[in-house]
Amino acid sequence: MESAKKQSCLDCVLRPDRLFCDLPTAVLQALDTMKEPLSCPRNTILFREGQAARGVFILCEGRAKLSVCSESGKRLILRIAVPGEVLGMSAALTGSDYEVTAELLDNAQLVLVKRKNLLQFLRDHREACLHVVTLLSQDLHVAYDRVRSVGLGRSRKQRTAHA
Amino acid sequence: MLSPYGLDIIESCLTCKVRSERIFCDLPTSALESFEAIKYATAYPKGAILFVEGQAPRGIFVLCKGRVKLSICATDGKTLILKIAEPGEVLGLSATVSGKPYELTAETIDPCQVNFVKREDFLRFLKEHSDACFKVAEQLSEKYNNACHEVRSLGLSHSAGEKLAKLLLEWSSRNGEAAKQEPRLKLALTHEEIAQMIGTSRETVTRLFADLKKRQIIQAKGSTLVVRNKVALKTMATNG
Repeated sequence: MESAKKQSCLDCVLRPDRLFCDLPTAVLQALDTMKEPLSCPRNTILFREGQAARGVFILCEGRAKLSVCSESGKRLILRIAVPGEVLGMSAALTGSDYEVTAELLDNAQLVLVKRKNLLQFLRDHREACLHVVTLLSQDLHVAYDRVRSVGLGRSRKQRTAHA
Repeated sequence: MLSPYGLDIIESCLTCKVRSERIFCDLPTSALESFEAIKYATAYPKGAILFVEGQAPRGIFVLCKGRVKLSICATDGKTLILKIAEPGEVLGLSATVSGKPYELTAETIDPCQVNFVKREDFLRFLKEHSDACFKVAEQLSEKYNNACHEVRSLGLSHSAGEKLAKLLLEWSSRNGEAAKQEPRLKLALTHEEIAQMIGTSRETVTRLFADLKKRQIIQAKGSTLVVRNKVALKTMATNG
């Protein structure tokens, strides 16, 4: 992982389209002061399942594969994260280990926000905390759909199509 | 107040003695007072459905007393139990926040006290109280971790035996039993329900339990199960 040139989130033209990033100016300025921009090549592992959570990664450009692994090394892909997503949020919030492995599928531009800074940021900025709640709800919907598809063999979308 | 189901109903969150032990409920007084104004304290008998998968979200249910079974269902009737929710959990959170239909079905397995909050009231409450918002984020994170764990268990376990061993180890690590050489656990579910938790048939669960007893890995004393050979159970959980 290499440090990248620090660009202000306020100058990002894609910001209004991205759920987490679409924040008021004052909140974005606060985010700007604590973020660490990173430039990472394809196949970089951002974090591994079981590793202590050090923070969240905001995916600015590029995609990441999120997977879980068995003790025998068998791997199951949960989903592909796209630009605008925030990775590692649930582990960073609860202080637990990362529950998935995140590996980049493309050369990517990211922003790392360390756990301690993130917690303070969310406590200080209610708007950001509300965005996180919405993001986590969406992540949870996707995760439940994955449970459904792995455990019952079909996704809800497929079931609706069959009905 | 004593309800028809024999529950000692906690009327006010402000006077609740167990509040400090529960993630969502441990809120500052001002937030709790606002919560008091929007909640409906209700009691349900065993077997009541709080919400059904696919139903438009009406609001959240804070589980004060009793346990609730959370499951998903296929159109052919096959059911998968995701979790048994314990007191202190907030149910229906992600659907209420996102406005998407409830992802799960919630059914009480004990007489329960539940505090219900309507969706619009809850969203306004979150906007006004950042402490509550942070706690909701924490609860959602735990639920997400749990869902990932479930996917791992369902998708990567080799056999029903491995999944059952993992489930028994998980249950036996609660209530201060983890460090014991022969931990005990109270079986709250039927073989049918355990089958629905690990995605197999009732017959397989019954056969696996009989095998575990025969090999003296577990011993049943009424509805209490004693793990006699934790090492063997761990080996089963790892190797299938």
